[in-house]
Amino acid sequence: MSMVELGGKQVEIDEDGFIQDPDVWDEAVAADLAKTEGVDDLGDNHWKLVNYLRDYYLEYNMAPMIRKLCKQTGFSLKEVYDLFPSGPAKGACKVAGLPKPTGCV
Amino acid sequence: MDLITVTREEGLRFSVELRGHVMTTDMSVAEGGQDGGPSPVEYLGVASGACLATMVQAYCDARGYTDGDVSVSLTLELVENPNRVGGIVLDVELPKDVPEDDREKLKKMALRMPVPATLRDGPRVDIEMF
Repeated sequence: MSMVELGGKQVEIDEDGFIQDPDVWDEAVAADLAKTEGVDDLGDNHWKLVNYLRDYYLEYNMAPMIRKLCKQTGFSLKEVYDLFPSGPAKGACKVAGLPKPTGCV
Repeated sequence: MDLITVTREEGLRFSVELRGHVMTTDMSVAEGGQDGGPSPVEYLGVASGACLATMVQAYCDARGYTDGDVSVSLTLELVENPNRVGGIVLDVELPKDVPEDDREKLKKMALRMPVPATLRDGPRVDIEMF
């Protein structure tokens, strides 16, 4: 774990850059997390994904299935990867301040 | 079915040979490899997507749907305990002249195509150590 500055505050992240405390997340943190994912500016489509993920996580304490994410936000899988090149799990979930998804590839 | 042989190259990178075709598999850097090729689990996604693309393209070719090619985008949903693939999510792009009723038919047929059907039924996995 390490402390880095995100959104103007000191935030604890893991070795893959996922924040550890969901309560520290805000839009400024999200913007800085996005830069670590190669997304310099979060546009409306990015925020649509991020907000859906965050709302779902806060309600159900888990990330949504990828198909549900696509259907509810109206993006195809390819469009999700165009917006977040690391993908919905490691890219979009990170920017949305969700916990790191697990499992090896 | 031809024999498939898996031979270590270096570290966690393996060469996979089948009928004269050679593929490479490796783990990501984060997982202790050098990312010299797709991981073994990623090949599961490769098989799923390629099977679907092949079978759907053959269907379209047979019916003369030629306004574009079939393409597939997919990803794997990973789960724990044990670490494994929990879901395979595939988007299939069809030629533009495939009518709606054929699209619905293809969606139903897709789950009966060889790789998806294999994964749904779960093959017997028989391992011996020497």
